[in-house]
Amino acid sequence: MKFRSAGENTIRDRVGLGWRRELAVGILSHLDRIDIVEVIADDLFDAPRRERRALRALSAQTTVVLHGVSLGLASSVPVETKLLEKTARLCEEVNPEYWSEHLAFVRGGGVEIGHLTAPPRTDATIEGAASNLERARAVVGSAPLVENIATLIDPPGSDYDEIDWVKGIMDLAPCGLLLDLHNLHANATNFGYDEIEFLKRVPAERIGAVHLAGGKWVEALGERRLLDDHLHDVPDTVYRLLAELAAVVPHPLTVILERDGDYPPIEVLLRQLDRAREALAEGRLRQFERIEKEAA
Amino acid sequence: MSAARLEAFLAKIYVEEDSRERFLLDPRGEAAKAGLNEREIAALEKIDRAGLILTARSLQKKRRRLFGKKPKG
Repeated sequence: MKFRSAGENTIRDRVGLGWRRELAVGILSHLDRIDIVEVIADDLFDAPRRERRALRALSAQTTVVLHGVSLGLASSVPVETKLLEKTARLCEEVNPEYWSEHLAFVRGGGVEIGHLTAPPRTDATIEGAASNLERARAVVGSAPLVENIATLIDPPGSDYDEIDWVKGIMDLAPCGLLLDLHNLHANATNFGYDEIEFLKRVPAERIGAVHLAGGKWVEALGERRLLDDHLHDVPDTVYRLLAELAAVVPHPLTVILERDGDYPPIEVLLRQLDRAREALAEGRLRQFERIEKEAA
Repeated sequence: MSAARLEAFLAKIYVEEDSRERFLLDPRGEAAKAGLNEREIAALEKIDRAGLILTARSLQKKRRRLFGKKPKG
């Protein structure tokens, strides 16, 4: 979509949806309202040929990007070569515009954790992640965008806060950032930091894409935390963060809504994409007004 | 190597109930048994206990979905 100021500048942001089997019919029927589709790479590693053919057919109709969940890049332990090779084969087959993975560890000492987990934020995991990203780039042929993850626990043994740790990895590895705004919101809420200050410190020129999602409150030992569960609608705060981001990022943004269950009718998700477009438009307008004021 | 040992230790207490219970009863003893250094042991003694319990709960649900009723190690 195209946002226009009083001047000549235009920025074409895109807004799309995560592909899930349950949403397939809704997505395919509304490609005119979905600019881009993000597919979970791991779902296709061992998928039957017909499913991979369907993905190729989808990529002929719209822009497709791949999103990985199981590499465990943010670890002092080297990423498994066979997983990188599977990612490489899939990228070759689908030719996505980009691929992405999380700054998480997902296994350790032979234990498969089964989900994304925040590692200790230390020099060892910064250097391990950078080394894993270099291996990923070498095997797959391109570096992934790396995503900040949500965590319910303040990772023990950490020497850095989250933003310094993410920046430490990005200083060593030539990769872009997939900024998940609900993950940022959840961590800021759970661990008491200012999400706008965090946004100001993100290297804006390195942001390649944005994730939106929702979550719910959970409680233990009398403490409440916000869980990023992808089962709820995007909260207003996250749209406000998106507008803040659009007010400062100079290049076009790709925004993906993630929903992993408790699926509402597709129209509800399409309305959330529209709200994301409105937030982007609001931020872009502020950016253009600022630029014009500075130029005057 | 110690960084990898710490990740392995965390993976274990996040997903294995018995390991987590032993750890919560004696953080220093269990961390020392795993070969962690003094700095890591001290960090684990101050672990965010609510966060640990919530993480374990959340992972248990996800692992049931991924691996079936009896989660893989």
